[in-house]
Amino acid sequence: MSADTVKNTTLNGTLEEGMPVSTERFLTFSSNDLNIGVSTNYVIEIITNHTITMLPLVPDYVKGIINLRGQIIPIIDIRLRMGKPSIDYTSSTCIIVLNINSVQIGIIVDAVQQVMDIDQSKISPVPVENQQELISGMVSSANSSVILFLDCEQLVETY
Amino acid sequence: MDNMLEMYLYETNTLLEQLDELLIEAEKNKDFTTNDVNEIFRSMHTIKGSSAMMEFSTLMEIAHHIEDLFFYIRENGMDSLDESHKNDLFNLMFQSTDALRSEVEKIENDEPLSTNIDPIVANINSFLEKISATGDGSSENAAADAKTEENTGVIPPADEHKIAVINQELAGCPESEMPYFIRIHFEQGSGMEHLRAFMIVTALKDIELEFEFYPEDVETNGDSSESIVENGFHIALSSQADVEKALHIIKEQNSVETYEVFENALVKHEQQKTPAPVSTPNNHNEPQQTSAPEESPAQKSAPAPAAHNSAPVKQSLISVNLSKLDSLVAIVGEIVITESMVTSSPDLQNLKLDNFTKSARQLRKLTDDLQDIAMSLRMVPVSGTFQKMNRIVRDMKKKLNKDVRLTIVGENTEVDKTIVDSIGDPIMHIVRNSMDHGIEEHVEDRITAGKDPQGEIVLSAAHTGSEVIISISDDGQGMDPEKILAKAERNGILTKPASEYSQKEILALLMLPGFSTNEEVTEFSGRGVGMDVVKKNVESVGGTITITSELGKGSCTTLKIPLTMAIADGMEVSVGKSMFTIPIANIRQSFKTQREEVILDASGNEIIKCLDEFYPIIRVHELYNIETEVTDIEDGILIWVEAADKSYCLFVDDLLGEQQVVVKPLPSFLSNFNIKNSGISGCTILGDGNISLILDIRSLYAAFYNQY
Repeated sequence: MSADTVKNTTLNGTLEEGMPVSTERFLTFSSNDLNIGVSTNYVIEIITNHTITMLPLVPDYVKGIINLRGQIIPIIDIRLRMGKPSIDYTSSTCIIVLNINSVQIGIIVDAVQQVMDIDQSKISPVPVENQQELISGMVSSANSSVILFLDCEQLVETY
Repeated sequence: MDNMLEMYLYETNTLLEQLDELLIEAEKNKDFTTNDVNEIFRSMHTIKGSSAMMEFSTLMEIAHHIEDLFFYIRENGMDSLDESHKNDLFNLMFQSTDALRSEVEKIENDEPLSTNIDPIVANINSFLEKISATGDGSSENAAADAKTEENTGVIPPADEHKIAVINQELAGCPESEMPYFIRIHFEQGSGMEHLRAFMIVTALKDIELEFEFYPEDVETNGDSSESIVENGFHIALSSQADVEKALHIIKEQNSVETYEVFENALVKHEQQKTPAPVSTPNNHNEPQQTSAPEESPAQKSAPAPAAHNSAPVKQSLISVNLSKLDSLVAIVGEIVITESMVTSSPDLQNLKLDNFTKSARQLRKLTDDLQDIAMSLRMVPVSGTFQKMNRIVRDMKKKLNKDVRLTIVGENTEVDKTIVDSIGDPIMHIVRNSMDHGIEEHVEDRITAGKDPQGEIVLSAAHTGSEVIISISDDGQGMDPEKILAKAERNGILTKPASEYSQKEILALLMLPGFSTNEEVTEFSGRGVGMDVVKKNVESVGGTITITSELGKGSCTTLKIPLTMAIADGMEVSVGKSMFTIPIANIRQSFKTQREEVILDASGNEIIKCLDEFYPIIRVHELYNIETEVTDIEDGILIWVEAADKSYCLFVDDLLGEQQVVVKPLPSFLSNFNIKNSGISGCTILGDGNISLILDIRSLYAAFYNQY
């Protein structure tokens, strides 16, 4: 924990001085057996068990809206958004509420894993032939699994 | 800077509004009281000062000239003006305040200020010359004096003969019985020294110090800045403690370069002398001049007790950003919902918790109070909007040569701020129409009709539960249904034979686009874009408008407007597991039906007959693909809805009940999916924390037909 704090301060420090950012903190979650990371700068909170009010006449990945303490937040299912089949929600299913350029949005993921610091220089672009919507980069982590990075800006882009 | 500008605009607008009211009132009495004159003088002075500080030179110039004019009037009293002059003065003042207001508007809209203000300034100056020329001998003297004062402009004439003495004895330091002096020098070239000095004076008054200051006319005399630059600005105080307090304030002022404190060597001699010049008028035979010396001490001493009295008034009003209020209201709404979530939590069921119930009841009461207060924060009285009509009636009275009085009833009625802002224009339009078309052209017509020669327009506002009713009625000639019909026929806006129109329908024709009863287009009304725009504006805030009229007796326009836009009356309906809110205003009827009554058209769409007309049925569960067990037309319920020209029946599972809901917009992210065109205008949070979607009856119909 204390090590994390130290890293965090160095991170902030480098940000302020305009030096190249070395590490960034990511929240990783799993969706359709992929490990996906999202920068904690975007994450507001993780909620579970929220009643989603469905909306009519929208694409199927827009699951609806929730009432988060008086704020109305749209919810999308990240599986369906990436064109994967939907599965039944379980107890580990949760909603990550993100704030992307002051647009609030919740994403449904299979399970949340951990928060980790990732050296930005190690993030490599996705190979061109494997390029996929919503993924901005990838990195292999310590236990030899691969983490993909969610392109948050693209998530809320207007069509 | 933005903050300063905001303050400046707020202050200036408030002053101009007050000024307008004052002028209207004064014109009714055909005279300015001394108070009025002082008030105008003060307002102009403030506008001049703050405009100079914000570097709005046009505003400053105009205000400065009006100030000069009223300086003269203040010196000579209103009695020195004859009837025609007074009339001119009123017109001139209205013109000038308009000029000021249009400049302020330019600032608000971020437009460049007009550079050519010569006409208005010339008007003021020529008027000033006119009145000063015709004044009697003594006032001429006074005017001359006033002029010299402005030219030499050091210290009011009453003290003039002492200037020499003062200069000698104290090297530029004025006399006073006060034992302590502070001499302030401003930074070189800072400009507007007299205003800066006056700011210090105001600051010192705010902490309620007793003090005198020299030159005494910094507030009124621009030329005094020269003497300030030369000799410094002096503040005289009675005790060491006061000096310390004052220094504290002075240090905070921006442009002060140096200040020094010294004791008054002449205190003892002065104690006998000083009361004299204040109470005895000058030796010159200028009776009017007495007002000047009296004025200055009055000004000095008056603000002190005045500040004392008005202090609580000042503090009881603060201006708050509307968005802050909105978030407060939102949070309070949340608290209310959370409270009911806690107290009706399923975990508590079947438990007997006496103490908990007691505290919960207490909490309920408090949150209810809190909600009431939060809602009332956005409420403002309609008086501001109503007062503006005074001015319109006044202007049109002159132009149209009609004698009309405006009676205002219930101006303290409070309405949501956004609504007050949006009803100003509609009301103005209606008042103009009443003035132009309503009230008879000739006084003789009124007299032969047995009416008071003076026409009357009554503007009233009243609360009824969740609505405010604003009515504008006149006792004019009323509207002739025949004429309206004929005109409508000529304009080709009739949709059925003229003979079939009822009185009510005829009056509703007035609000159709492209209708104007006046044959000629006038400056004020009659472009045929009047009432339909009014109707649209009123409807945009969720209100309704009706016209009643009796030929020969006058007409009355009534606006019914909801107290706030954020709250709507809705009918909760369920479809499957979803809940929807239909605005009550759109619902005509809800009913059960039999299978036999439903007719199928060629393409298989369902149609039903209500009151001899056929309407399509839209099944919400089909349109929105909601799973529900209620698919049989006999199990569910039909709601006959209407919006604009669309009328149809919605098929839903069940009615859940009527309820007031707080309307929340849908998240902007969803506009990517064109949600607005799928029949949903917003959502609301129900008491149990669930969300109900608010249906937009008009776009739902469009969504239904776009599907096929």
